[in-house]
Amino acid sequence: MGHGGDPVAHPLRRHMGNRWGFPDLGIGIGLRTVHYGEILGRKPEIDWFEVLSENYMDTGGRPVFVLDQVAERYPVALHGVSLGIGNTDPINLEHLTKLKALAERTRARWVSDHLCWTGILGRNSHDLLPMPYTDDALRHTIRRVKQVQEFLERPLVLENPSSYVEFAASTLSEWDFLKTLAEEADCGLLLDVNNVYVSSFNHGFDPNVYIDAIPADRVVQVHLAGHTNKGTHIVDTHSDHAIEAVWDLYRRALRRTGLVSTLYEWDESVPELDVVWTEALKARPIRDAVERELEPQEAVAR
Amino acid sequence: MSALPLPLDRMQRWMQAVVVNPGSAEAGVRSPEAQREVPAERIGDVILPSATLTPVERVGIYHGMYLLRMRDALAGDYPGLEHFLGDGGFLRLVNEYVQAHPSRSHTLNRLGDHLPGFVAGHATLPRREFCAELARLELAVTDVFDAPEAPPLGQDAIAAVPAEAWERARLRPIAAFRLLAFRYPVNAYLQSVRDEDHDHHPKPRLRSEWVAVFRRDYAVYRLELSKPAHDLLADLVRGERLGDAIAAALERPGRQRPSAEDLFRWFREWVSGGIFAEVRLE
Repeated sequence: MGHGGDPVAHPLRRHMGNRWGFPDLGIGIGLRTVHYGEILGRKPEIDWFEVLSENYMDTGGRPVFVLDQVAERYPVALHGVSLGIGNTDPINLEHLTKLKALAERTRARWVSDHLCWTGILGRNSHDLLPMPYTDDALRHTIRRVKQVQEFLERPLVLENPSSYVEFAASTLSEWDFLKTLAEEADCGLLLDVNNVYVSSFNHGFDPNVYIDAIPADRVVQVHLAGHTNKGTHIVDTHSDHAIEAVWDLYRRALRRTGLVSTLYEWDESVPELDVVWTEALKARPIRDAVERELEPQEAVAR
Repeated sequence: MSALPLPLDRMQRWMQAVVVNPGSAEAGVRSPEAQREVPAERIGDVILPSATLTPVERVGIYHGMYLLRMRDALAGDYPGLEHFLGDGGFLRLVNEYVQAHPSRSHTLNRLGDHLPGFVAGHATLPRREFCAELARLELAVTDVFDAPEAPPLGQDAIAAVPAEAWERARLRPIAAFRLLAFRYPVNAYLQSVRDEDHDHHPKPRLRSEWVAVFRRDYAVYRLELSKPAHDLLADLVRGERLGDAIAAALERPGRQRPSAEDLFRWFREWVSGGIFAEVRLE
């Protein structure tokens, strides 16, 4: 795998942040059922939590009871897996209505989902299925992002997915697709650097080129996670520690975006809270180093 | 080889047909549903090979993950049934079930809503009646877990009812409550699975059980009842007046007839369990 050139750090990026002024929430982790008791009981010093939207939409039981308490104490962002922004079925307004209500209930800092499709003919595969990167698919997705944003009355933040296939019909790279989508639909980006790594392995592109092409001022949040290398391909399992190459991509991304809300995902074989949090905290020295790198440039720019 | 010009909706119909096919990814590619959109021999014009995988193998990653995701979701709601059928048997059931009842919701939480009925109507499942009852119990647990929260009837509300008025009182249960009757010991079986007591799983032989499933302080409880207690509680949650329900209980023959001590004990247990939400007087 080759390496692209050094990324260009915007001298004022640390203070510019993203174009909507969404705050840098620091380092967070995903809110997971197995940690509920410890989070409520011990009230750990975690900067913020990301909440899987669909897990809290149709229940009146313990999940929302826990979520209300978490949202009372910590900043929360919603992260969905079923919006299906690339679906060719009509947008599901019932889903959007519940999503909007949940965002209001939790005072969510932002609402994110994935650049993908999830099903057709009324079915939901509950997978993040890949889009072909064609102009038609781009126009289709831009239209839908605008509709969703109008309904939610807030910018939608879209995450780059891991993918396992490439379409012969694609005429754009994923990063060009994402860049144009974000700019024309005026939406935010959730840059998952592990997904960039996974897809770069599976499709044989340079992940640095991807990171360097992303419009930095639209990046609201970064995801980190572990994956499973099957030899012939990598699966985005969120089941392990992140490998060093992923942390390198994170460092590279931060040099472009400045300090940005960072979230560690662990969804399979979820270990104890301290293990997840210790892994997430590996982001801290990288954030500190990038902050130090940016400060002199900021002074020069002044 | 040239890219097949495929509109987005047709590409999605094709890929979904492949991914959800109950056989292999190869079978999915060759299925009539998929071939309506893309002839099997032209898959290379839709999906590119990677350096290590063929187009079928690549789309097969999604195919393989689909069934495992459905299995994981249903195993979370039906741990007893999964244990009874074993990994292979449960996976086969899941594969058949999601063909008949695919998820049409944004959440996987309700994927298993039709499973008890599906099991009950299954032609070849071993011990089908036992499995159907076990599934019915496990669905009740899920329903109760997700039901809306409502404050239970408090001591103050009970104390406010004049003693002479109890006869005409009607009790409304909380939303997070289900009352069930079984011909097989499915609650004991589920408990043995939860306890990981693998030496003492009850046999799937006829032995009636009556169970109240309810939630208190966001925890789900399964309370085994005697038949008389079940019948009385069933009358109450149906909206019978307390006096009429008790009179009916006292008219039952022999061992089915509760004593006054039984009635007080049950009522105390049900109220302290938070089963009732409201007492109404006429």
